[in-house]
Amino acid sequence: MKKLFALLLALLFCVAPICGCNLSNSLPASLGDSIELPESGVVAAHVFEEMKRENKIVRFYAVSNGIHYEWTVFGSDIESPKDLNLGIQITSVSPNDIVFSFISKENFGFSPVLSITLNETWNAQSATVYKIADDVQTPIGGADTVIKDKCILNFSPPFQVGSLEIRAKSENDAPSQTTSPTAPNSKGTGTKDKYNTDPVPEGKPKPVEPDDINVNKKIKHTCTFSIECSSIINNLSDLDPNKLDVLPPNGVLFAPQTVEFYEGESLYDLLVRVCRENGIQMEAVWTPIYNSAYVEGINNLYEFDCGSGSGWMYCVNGWYPNYGCSRYKLCENDNIAWRYTCNLGKDIGGASAVGE
Amino acid sequence: MRGRDAFSNYHPLVNFLYFCLIFGFSMFFTHPVCLLISLFCALCLNIKLTGAAALKGLFCFSLPALVAISLINPAFNHQGTVILCYLPSGNPLTLESILYGLSAGTMLVCVLTWFSCFNEVITSDKFIYLFGRIIPIMSLLLSMALSFVPKFKAQFEQVKQARSCLVGRDVTNGSLLKRLGFAVSCFSIMVTKSLEGAIETADSMKSRGYGLPKRSAFSVYIISKRDKFALLWLFFCAIFVLCGSLSGCLFWRYFPSIRGVLIRPATIATYIVYFALCITPSIIDIVEEIKWKYLHSKI
Repeated sequence: MKKLFALLLALLFCVAPICGCNLSNSLPASLGDSIELPESGVVAAHVFEEMKRENKIVRFYAVSNGIHYEWTVFGSDIESPKDLNLGIQITSVSPNDIVFSFISKENFGFSPVLSITLNETWNAQSATVYKIADDVQTPIGGADTVIKDKCILNFSPPFQVGSLEIRAKSENDAPSQTTSPTAPNSKGTGTKDKYNTDPVPEGKPKPVEPDDINVNKKIKHTCTFSIECSSIINNLSDLDPNKLDVLPPNGVLFAPQTVEFYEGESLYDLLVRVCRENGIQMEAVWTPIYNSAYVEGINNLYEFDCGSGSGWMYCVNGWYPNYGCSRYKLCENDNIAWRYTCNLGKDIGGASAVGE
Repeated sequence: MRGRDAFSNYHPLVNFLYFCLIFGFSMFFTHPVCLLISLFCALCLNIKLTGAAALKGLFCFSLPALVAISLINPAFNHQGTVILCYLPSGNPLTLESILYGLSAGTMLVCVLTWFSCFNEVITSDKFIYLFGRIIPIMSLLLSMALSFVPKFKAQFEQVKQARSCLVGRDVTNGSLLKRLGFAVSCFSIMVTKSLEGAIETADSMKSRGYGLPKRSAFSVYIISKRDKFALLWLFFCAIFVLCGSLSGCLFWRYFPSIRGVLIRPATIATYIVYFALCITPSIIDIVEEIKWKYLHSKI
């Protein structure tokens, strides 16, 4: 009896230390600390190596020219860890325009998201990024604005050398068939319709009931389509830790590109098709009281995953319709963006769609 | 006292602690290896205790329930990164949701099988012995409630046979409407009988002074050396498995993508101890049987 007891205790003490070891190679992603960049901006290779090994997501932040900026680096995104200079030099700031240059002399080898916190709010949904080389500006992509206390510009630069300029995209630039761009967020007058929808502001497309639509597969049109969730990058601490694995490192699930649709199709039909063709998981549920489908989650990022006010919203030509996506009839050259909100649309400029 | 298996002859505290641990672990571990260990041990013990009835329960209820749950879950749950195909509703059918359904089904079957073992081992006298002093009314009520279904089934059979013998009013006789009428009246008899039985039990327990502060109850249970050893073993296993689970050795998640630890040394150690814990009653029975046969052969 005593002998057995001693044997058991010995076994317990032998095996207990092994419990702490980490040998698994399929670690789920986890959120690491925020690290302030040193004066020089250089981050040593061993930091990246550790992030890669432990599959950690780390934010590096610093201030340049009075403006706070932050890199969100995914451990899973790093291929070959090396010493990198993450510093940027912001050279000029003016309303709706910012110019900066990378201190780094080489590309990082991965594409993290750069978030620049502006001191003044820009009056724009999105911005265009230009590359400056020999005084010639070439547009290289877009940046998304997220409002969280202050306005944050999110974008993932495809290269990390040289100088860039970000300029706010004014509402007039967006291709739109609406006649008057005035007061995009003002409410129309009148009462709610039978599907509980507030009156649509003047000049904006009215909802079209899905039952009234006949899709004509002979006539094809094109529009611009994108799905992005960069607001999560700015609220990583609120995100369900299990979902860190499905978050795209550059915050973009489907980069803006031209897609085809058939005459009479609704926006929901297009979303379903784009997701299927590109293998993106998407779940929607039909909601009879709004006579529309409600998109619960795209790419396993669901409503309520990033705080109680989070979910998917859609934006057409810079305006968030206040009705469901099955009731939006697509038009030629529409610019459609599905965006993830963490604060009932307030952070992505879509508060008007939820009646505020 | 039931003498059918050696584990039932242990002190009620050992039996009860064992089942508490098993219920807790079976209900909270979603790790597939733990589920399989628990299912295997539950079936072993159940077959040992009830024999053919266990197999009947397994094939008539448990397996269909398992299949039903693993089919129903993917119909409502569309999370997961591996898309197999698309359902008519337009939502994806994912591998993760099917596997999650399977794991949930296995867990249900496990816990039900363990409960059937619990009913065999923890008889109402053991239950009253354990809780009669601390919570007299609750324990009487619980023991009556726990024995209600098996008792109801046995009495139902009796009533059915009596009725078919005496007046031929059986559910197998007559037209559909008549048969329905017989079944309803049989059920009504049963309800009356069990209500009356409950009141009689309560009255009789009261008249015997059950639950009075200074009254002692007769019991033949004493904690022997063997029981102390068993308690120690249970504590050791429980602490080991708990440490393993808290240190992340049994980490497993299904959504959004399947991630977990499978063959880390610490994880394997935890599997072994968990298996040892689950299989304990079956091993005790087998060892006792071997001992008995050995002694028998010596005579």
